[in-house]
Amino acid sequence: MYKTQKIGFSGLVFAAVLGTWFTGGTNVQAQIGKAPSEPDLIAILQSDAPDEDKAIACKQLAVFGSAQAVPELAKRLSDPQLASWARIALEAIPGSEADAALRDSLGKLQGKLLVGAINSVAFRRDERSVEALARLLPNSDIEIAASAAAALGRIGNVAARQLLEQRLTDSNPTLRSTAAEGCIYCAERLLASGNKTGAIELYDRVRSADVPTPRIIEATRGAILTRDQDGMVLLVEQLRSPDKQFYQIGLSTLREISPSRADSIVFAELGQLPPARAALVVQALVDRPGAVELSQFQSIANEHSGLVQIAAIEALGKIGNASCVSQLIDASGSTDLDLALAAKKSLTELAGDDVNLELIRRLRAADRKSLRLLLEIVGLRQMVAVEELVKALADSDPEIRAAALTSLGRTVPADQLSILVQQVAKPANTEDTPAALAALKAAAIRMPDREACAAELATAFQRSTGTIASSLLEIVGAVGGTQALATVEAAARSNDGELQNVATRLLGDWMTIDAAPVLLSLAGPGIGMEAKYQVRVVRGYLRIARQFAMSETERVSMCKQAWQICQKPAEQKLLLEILKRYPGPETFRLAAEARQVAEIKADATAAMLAISQALGNNSKELELLLSKDGLRKVQLEIVRAEYGAGESQTEVTKVLQRLAKDQAWIPLPSANYNEVFAVDPAPGMPKQLTIQYRMDGKPGKVTLAENAMIFLPETQ
Amino acid sequence: MVQRETVNRAPKPSRRRFLKTTLSAAGVATVGPMIIPCSALGRNGTVPPSERIVVAGIGIGNRGTYDLGCFLEQPDVQFAAVCDVKEARRVAVKKIADDRQGNTDCRMYRDFRELLDRTDIDAVLIATGPNWHATASIYAARAGKDIYCEKPCTKNIVQSLLLAETMRRTGRIFQAGTQRRNLPHFAFACALARSGKLGKIKRVFAHPAGMQAMTSGWLAPETEPDKQVVDWDMYLGPAAWRPFNPQLLDGFNFEKGGGLVGGGVLEWGSHCVDLCQWAMGDAPPPIEYDAPRDGQLVARYENGAELIFREKDWIPLGSCPVRFEGETGWVEAGDSGKMVLSSPELLAGREVQEIGDYPATFHVRDFLDCVKTRGVPKGNANAACNAHIACHAANVALYLNRQIKLDLKTHEFINDEEANRLRSEALREPWRL
Repeated sequence: MYKTQKIGFSGLVFAAVLGTWFTGGTNVQAQIGKAPSEPDLIAILQSDAPDEDKAIACKQLAVFGSAQAVPELAKRLSDPQLASWARIALEAIPGSEADAALRDSLGKLQGKLLVGAINSVAFRRDERSVEALARLLPNSDIEIAASAAAALGRIGNVAARQLLEQRLTDSNPTLRSTAAEGCIYCAERLLASGNKTGAIELYDRVRSADVPTPRIIEATRGAILTRDQDGMVLLVEQLRSPDKQFYQIGLSTLREISPSRADSIVFAELGQLPPARAALVVQALVDRPGAVELSQFQSIANEHSGLVQIAAIEALGKIGNASCVSQLIDASGSTDLDLALAAKKSLTELAGDDVNLELIRRLRAADRKSLRLLLEIVGLRQMVAVEELVKALADSDPEIRAAALTSLGRTVPADQLSILVQQVAKPANTEDTPAALAALKAAAIRMPDREACAAELATAFQRSTGTIASSLLEIVGAVGGTQALATVEAAARSNDGELQNVATRLLGDWMTIDAAPVLLSLAGPGIGMEAKYQVRVVRGYLRIARQFAMSETERVSMCKQAWQICQKPAEQKLLLEILKRYPGPETFRLAAEARQVAEIKADATAAMLAISQALGNNSKELELLLSKDGLRKVQLEIVRAEYGAGESQTEVTKVLQRLAKDQAWIPLPSANYNEVFAVDPAPGMPKQLTIQYRMDGKPGKVTLAENAMIFLPETQ
Repeated sequence: MVQRETVNRAPKPSRRRFLKTTLSAAGVATVGPMIIPCSALGRNGTVPPSERIVVAGIGIGNRGTYDLGCFLEQPDVQFAAVCDVKEARRVAVKKIADDRQGNTDCRMYRDFRELLDRTDIDAVLIATGPNWHATASIYAARAGKDIYCEKPCTKNIVQSLLLAETMRRTGRIFQAGTQRRNLPHFAFACALARSGKLGKIKRVFAHPAGMQAMTSGWLAPETEPDKQVVDWDMYLGPAAWRPFNPQLLDGFNFEKGGGLVGGGVLEWGSHCVDLCQWAMGDAPPPIEYDAPRDGQLVARYENGAELIFREKDWIPLGSCPVRFEGETGWVEAGDSGKMVLSSPELLAGREVQEIGDYPATFHVRDFLDCVKTRGVPKGNANAACNAHIACHAANVALYLNRQIKLDLKTHEFINDEEANRLRSEALREPWRL
């Protein structure tokens, strides 16, 4: 029997790939193994091994097989269950032997298996198969005939091309379609080889054939692009087409053509096209890589209305310069909301310092109509125009003041931040306060020296009261840094409930690890903080312990501190989750300590198990604990278990079946798997134990590192 | 070193809000798509039938149902059909769509080819298991449909190349389900890297969330259900044959990586490596991939910058973190919607919306806008192709446990036959790419 051979049984070869393919969840190291031996893989194909083993042998031969394997693989081409596996290898193995095997099969196979072989011949582009494929074109099974046509297209030599052209007039529409598909492949190859005329002729033949619309569309695209600039006339025909699909291919093909003088043909067509189409043509024209003629788009923006004008205005934002500013400002004031929005967007995007100079000049001389727009544009473009913006703060119109504040928030430099602080602390108009706060926040978080910024804000905060103080504290928190942390901590220690609320929320979300000692000290006794804020502080400390990068020693220290401040089971359970996430001897001890608390005993036990499992540790101490306390009773069935590394696997199902009890934990007589299973299947190599099981009737699977404690995960 | 999080927390977005966002974040050119004029909407926000995009779903399970919700909330979407190999899913999705649309028009299919034959359908949402993604996308493109396809989009390097090539040839709009490309903070972080604000980029970091194999296999045969209930043959699709077993009916995990390799690097890499690629200007993938060492894998771009797959040492910013390091600054961002910058000056007065929980709404909107404009969506096929190739190549290095070098012209590994054999895998009959 094959299964008694040295290289193994079905599970052995299976396991050789298991680590990389079948089981999932294996780590990188498990994927590293020595290449399988080709003779062994061929032997599997020759044996009475189950099909699943032969399937995987085929997969391995795709990488590690040679001409030697071809005869055995070829035998599987007529096997409905293994043909697809065999072709995986035959497509991949280089050399004439695999070509010949696939080619020979074309005369022997039937139905879908023949289609598969045809497809593999196509993938390998075996020119010697053309004759055999030609014989299949008249096949009454249209799937076979069509596959043969597609294969000829992939091969694409002169003989294949001639056969396909003949089939463009076949009586069967499916074959005509696939022949057209093949012709398009051939045209691409002709073009790639420099035969532009031949490619155009072939594309045009497809275009005039009675084939489905998608084929004609593909050929049309090819015909336009292959003709280069001469293709513009054909392209315009598509843009005019009443058929949406042809119009669409015209539009997308236009995007593939570099700008040239031939663009004029398209520009001339804009007035003839329906506005919605013309607008999209304008977008396509400007989206192309390469330099386009700005004046063309300026003219369109002036001469057209509606959607075409909007598209042209948008185009100016992408390619325009200072000469477009006036046109865009005018359009921004349009009563057509879409046009106004497009113009504003373009004013924001327009590139160049000369554009900024022009905008400043216009801002200084702005009338009421354009003042708000220009103030807004200054902010959106991040231009420096503090003097002009401050001047607008004195305007009688609150909307003007709000626009100026917003733009100051976006642009004010560090040495003038006090302008915004003043607007918050001592507003001339209290109705401006929301805008001033938003502006201050926007400015503060982009300040390069955040300590200086935080200090300035802290001073303003200390001088404020009520909602202004709370808002300033929020901004201080958003700035971050040492000074900000100290300010927020002081607020948390204050006897103001609202400030405590804001401060503890900010600390709970703090983005740097230096908030940890602050949170720890706030969690201590004697702070006088409301209970809900106390919980927030504790959870903030746990968040840092869980999420932030730090040394193992630091994290353990934090966890120990956390254990002292976690008074409620909910927080204690969160801490146990952290211990599980960072398994180590110290976190194991902490989990053991937590077992002393009755409310979380079960969670602490689970944490200990998880930590032990991760450490590959069969702690006697843990076993003792578990045997005393017991675990949840389950119905456990070990379905299959394998132990080993790479190809060297041993089945240990029966051993585990003997050891398994009515709980998820399987106690072992030794911490050493080799002793437990009385075998070392891969001496000197790191091994794994893979267990398939059913728990309470539900299937599960787990792969454990060598010598790990066996605790089977709950099944879903 | 200054660390600062952005603070502009945003509520759950709506489309109208999104349009406003596009304007307010105008300083970040990468955030918003083009504006669809309000005039395209009717008085009640309804869209006339001529302006609607007719969408169908293929393989709508858990993730697909979420995506479907994002589509259904768009006023210009008409969801016309669902295809699923599982009858229960077909019925459930029809109910969701019909309830939402107030009719009974959503038709059900077991074979997606019948759905693709319908000429009234403009676009498809493909949310099958990853086994089907590339094959179904290519069939849909050949049928003239635009495609929103969940990630990972391909099973190997050759599929990635064929996917991009097919989308070019057919002129279809393709959006990979890499929705983080349409979230403001990720877009801002990538724009900082691309625009040189961080100096010359030296390293980009991606979190693979486990460099593990996650594919499924050949389990003990069980009685195959009636084809109408579960069509096992269609479920297997392009995957090599194996007997029916209900445990394999998890589309999310079935044949995720394909080939002998696959798994975690691809599963999360198709998001976070994709963002790294975007930060690198959607450059071609790295050309050199080291063997894994100390829990990380280093790949190198042609310009010497490193792409580092790293499990640990992230700032706690949620899942799918990425980090971009240049000569003068760095930025790190994650799924919380927050980002941390080496200097607050990098914000330069911009307000970046903080949108956590990686909603796909914006990404779906970007796709729909491009269906109309024939523009290039953020998760386009070329971008997805490069990001996926980076992941597949990393997986090959993981599997072979040695350094491999990729030739960007041929997309073959240099002088490494074993690696090259892992570039592709035969599809089960009758499927072809």
